[in-house]
Amino acid sequence: MTALEIGIASFPVLMGLIFLRVPIGLAMFLVALGGLYLVTDGMTVALSRLKNETYSTFSSYSLSIIPMFLLMGYFATLGGMSQALFRAAAAFLGHRKGGVAMASVGACAGFGAICGSSLATAATMSQVALPELKRYGYSGGFSTATLAAGGTLGILIPPSVILVIYAILTEQNIAKLFLAAFIPGILAAIGYMITIAIYVRLKPDSAGLRPPVPAAERLQALLEIWPVLLVFLLVVGGIYMGWFTPTEGAAVGAAGTSLIALLNGGLTRATMVESFYSTAKNSAMIFFIILGAAFYNGFLALTQVPQELSEWVVSLGLTPWSVLICILVLYLIFGCLMDSLSMILLTIPIFFPIVSQLDFSMTPEEVAIWFGILVLIVVEVGLITPPVGMNLFVINSMDPKTRMIETYKSVIPFVASDIVRVAILVAFPGITLVLLRALY
Amino acid sequence: MHKAVLTLARWMAVLGGLVLVALVLITCVSVAGRILNGWLHSDFLQGLIPGPADWLIGIGVGPLLGDFELVEAGMAFAIFAFLPLCQITRGHASVDIFTSRMPAAINRVIGVLVDLIFAAVLILIAQRLYVGTLDKMAFNETTFMLQFPIWWAYGASLFAAVVAALVAIYMALARLAGALPDPGEVDL
Repeated sequence: MTALEIGIASFPVLMGLIFLRVPIGLAMFLVALGGLYLVTDGMTVALSRLKNETYSTFSSYSLSIIPMFLLMGYFATLGGMSQALFRAAAAFLGHRKGGVAMASVGACAGFGAICGSSLATAATMSQVALPELKRYGYSGGFSTATLAAGGTLGILIPPSVILVIYAILTEQNIAKLFLAAFIPGILAAIGYMITIAIYVRLKPDSAGLRPPVPAAERLQALLEIWPVLLVFLLVVGGIYMGWFTPTEGAAVGAAGTSLIALLNGGLTRATMVESFYSTAKNSAMIFFIILGAAFYNGFLALTQVPQELSEWVVSLGLTPWSVLICILVLYLIFGCLMDSLSMILLTIPIFFPIVSQLDFSMTPEEVAIWFGILVLIVVEVGLITPPVGMNLFVINSMDPKTRMIETYKSVIPFVASDIVRVAILVAFPGITLVLLRALY
Repeated sequence: MHKAVLTLARWMAVLGGLVLVALVLITCVSVAGRILNGWLHSDFLQGLIPGPADWLIGIGVGPLLGDFELVEAGMAFAIFAFLPLCQITRGHASVDIFTSRMPAAINRVIGVLVDLIFAAVLILIAQRLYVGTLDKMAFNETTFMLQFPIWWAYGASLFAAVVAALVAIYMALARLAGALPDPGEVDL
């Protein structure tokens, strides 16, 4: 077999292992090890790479943003910011039809602004919002589906762990990607709210009513979210203004949320140890996948598969748009089966060279950023598509009375809203790029 | 036994967490120092209070030297230290949509195999890191700014990697012995 053939054959083997429940990072690692053995005729190359590859992956300065953002999110939870956000959103939206659900989405968007992870956003906001949704007579499946969808705003609205990974893989500017994600993130929140408004009108028994809140109380609730605003403006604003690098911004954010948690009395020795455990589990999981992917991508590069594949796609002579749409549809399908991070790490090294060769009459950087945001959204859809939507599992496990199938049914309108939004953003790249063009 | 190993994994996670917090603080101090240093050099403050401004610069108000080298070294240790807890709680992401429909016996076999292979891979990683550490020692490589020997950072990571391998070996043996029920899914 030639190196190219070995590289191509590695895909089905990798997929087979993953579907046999081999942890994704481990599967990539094993296939890379085997592939390198075949391509380089022995273990020498693989073994000598491994002397430094684990250390250099784990010690990467740009990747160190990830544990810091995770820590920042956990501290934000301890600081009671999720409660404050929900109270403020509910004060303004709660009295409408489906208003408590809309408030949950709004609060998720707010929390997404200080948290870079969808699962953390969904899980945190559920603790606050699920009891409230129940109290005002929202049906179980509708409540869990709303929060699962709302949780995806965690990675859409900057900061975002997935965008950081994309930026590193494609050598793009993280600050610019964060900026570009902003409007699509807001559109997502609005889209979900419209979905809720339609849903409760079609199924009036799925939601109850909440009495309106007096104006004075609204103002009070709004004032209580100042710490969230402060941290968001400091971190994202600081990165954008060039005061500090994204990693430094994450450190400032983690310090900021820890200070607020400390002042609120939420940060004790016990809760701090708990947030270390959560940070540890998630960071280790993420970094092991990154390690596997780095090793696997190194092997693939050696076999020339990414170059050959992109040349082949270009030689097909398809229009750029149809190639792009095919890639996005592939992501949607895979998203039903795989988690978003693994998908990005596995596919971007292959798809990005293809996309960057297509002519969309934009600058290469604009294409890279626009494509990144589109990919971010379609993999995020994967978090809420049945059967393997991680957010669906997490939220459903927090609400034992609601059966999984009810969540599956109720989440479909939200998935539809996501797909409409992707279509709009594909058709009008300007929506994603307008802030970037205006500010840079 | 399980409790002891879990405690060990948790200690490593807390140790890694403390290092992470230290890195956060170092980075914040460095950022604050750099921004202050910029202000002190600004025309406004140089015109207003040149003496105190220069004095503050003189006593070292500025970015910390080589802060990113510390972040890199500490982060490698922290991630290696986080691995044992992820291992013992089976926190690694996997896809169980197809296997969940297979018979329990097949799932048990897969579970044992995965744990054994994972242990083997973590042993390999630790062993290679050991060789890497010896390399860095032999060539006496140091970091660019702080000039501290790189093998210190490798050595610290090696210690955590060995713990991760040991925990993985324990998990594999325990699963082989059937001592642990198969919890199946990702523990979040």
